[in-house]
Amino acid sequence: MAVTYSDHLRQRSPRRLSDNPSDYMKRILPFIIILLVLGVAVGSAYYLKRSATEVHPVGPSTNGVAPTTAPITASTGAVPGAEPAHTLGPIGAPVHLEEFGDFECPPCGLLHPILVEMHREFGDRLQITFREFPLVPAHQHAMAAASAAEAAGLQGKFWEMHDLLYENQKAWHEAFDVRPIFEGYAKQIGLDVGQFTRDINSEAVAQRIFLDGKRGHSLNVKGTPTVFLNGREVPFESLPAEKLRVLINTELSGGR
Amino acid sequence: MNSEASTAASKHVTLVYLLIAILSLCGLADAIYLTIEHITGQSVRCTIIAGCSEVLSSSYAVVAGYPLASIGALAYFGVFSLAILALFGYRIAGALLTPLVLGMCLVSLWLIYLQAFVIHAFCQFCLISAAVTFALTGLVLVRWRMK
Repeated sequence: MAVTYSDHLRQRSPRRLSDNPSDYMKRILPFIIILLVLGVAVGSAYYLKRSATEVHPVGPSTNGVAPTTAPITASTGAVPGAEPAHTLGPIGAPVHLEEFGDFECPPCGLLHPILVEMHREFGDRLQITFREFPLVPAHQHAMAAASAAEAAGLQGKFWEMHDLLYENQKAWHEAFDVRPIFEGYAKQIGLDVGQFTRDINSEAVAQRIFLDGKRGHSLNVKGTPTVFLNGREVPFESLPAEKLRVLINTELSGGR
Repeated sequence: MNSEASTAASKHVTLVYLLIAILSLCGLADAIYLTIEHITGQSVRCTIIAGCSEVLSSSYAVVAGYPLASIGALAYFGVFSLAILALFGYRIAGALLTPLVLGMCLVSLWLIYLQAFVIHAFCQFCLISAAVTFALTGLVLVRWRMK
């Protein structure tokens, strides 16, 4: 029959284990090891959580002062992105929310109705900017979708296409060829489809997506959706409507 | 002669428990990472490198409101504790280790089935956890055969 480590210790020791003055230590040693591992595990979990939820400031909070992308660019070296940016809400709004999104990304699709809700709720007090950040090659149609939105933007209907792409994400996500689907959307929102089809492959559209992506990389954006509120990155866990509402209200009240 | 055989067997048992303890620590680290990713929502975000984690954002990633990975972390910690106690001669710990690891093995098989046939996507860190559990199962069976 096999014996354990302590049996082995007994065999080696000329004295009985119970007579050994270090017997007590040997009995409690496994519990000390277990507690040590528990402490390290809890400590690393806490450290990982703290690192993951750390807010990364990319510029000074404007604390109620009308923000623009310019101060952020000037203070951090972040590049400006495509100009003019696609925005909802007035330029002088006290809170500026900048989203880096990918139309094929399901969490971005989930964030879409939340931002629509915030836009309705905060009106002129909130400016929302959308930046293209297609995750290629993770999403096979992401670039085509970004191009479709930008091509629609050249005809002044970016947000209409943006909404259609997110609302019908599941419909085109698994399609083999998305071109006829996007052309259908273009027709639906009243675009010149011929122009739209030409614009999709145009240099102007490619340049806008490239510049937004460049801005994202300069702000250390690694995934989507990534949201900045008055220049500070919002932790992903704070993106549900109720939490985002609190953050926007905090910015409106001067960051207190 | 018997004493020599017994000492050799003892060394093997010690080695098996040590390997179980080390492997369970690897599983614990993996499960803690997955738990934190889940809690902070990072696992739900799409990234350039990994794409979107359809596995970790699925409904199967949560059990009774708790991230499945956190239950995994508790299980791995349980295996580590029992292996250490067994190493120091607590026989009951050795006896409890087998059903716990076999239960974890069954859960891992179920999760691999879900990834392959229900979610149709695999999660790298979930597969690492399954591999650790299968290795633990092998070691527990080796220990069982030593009896």
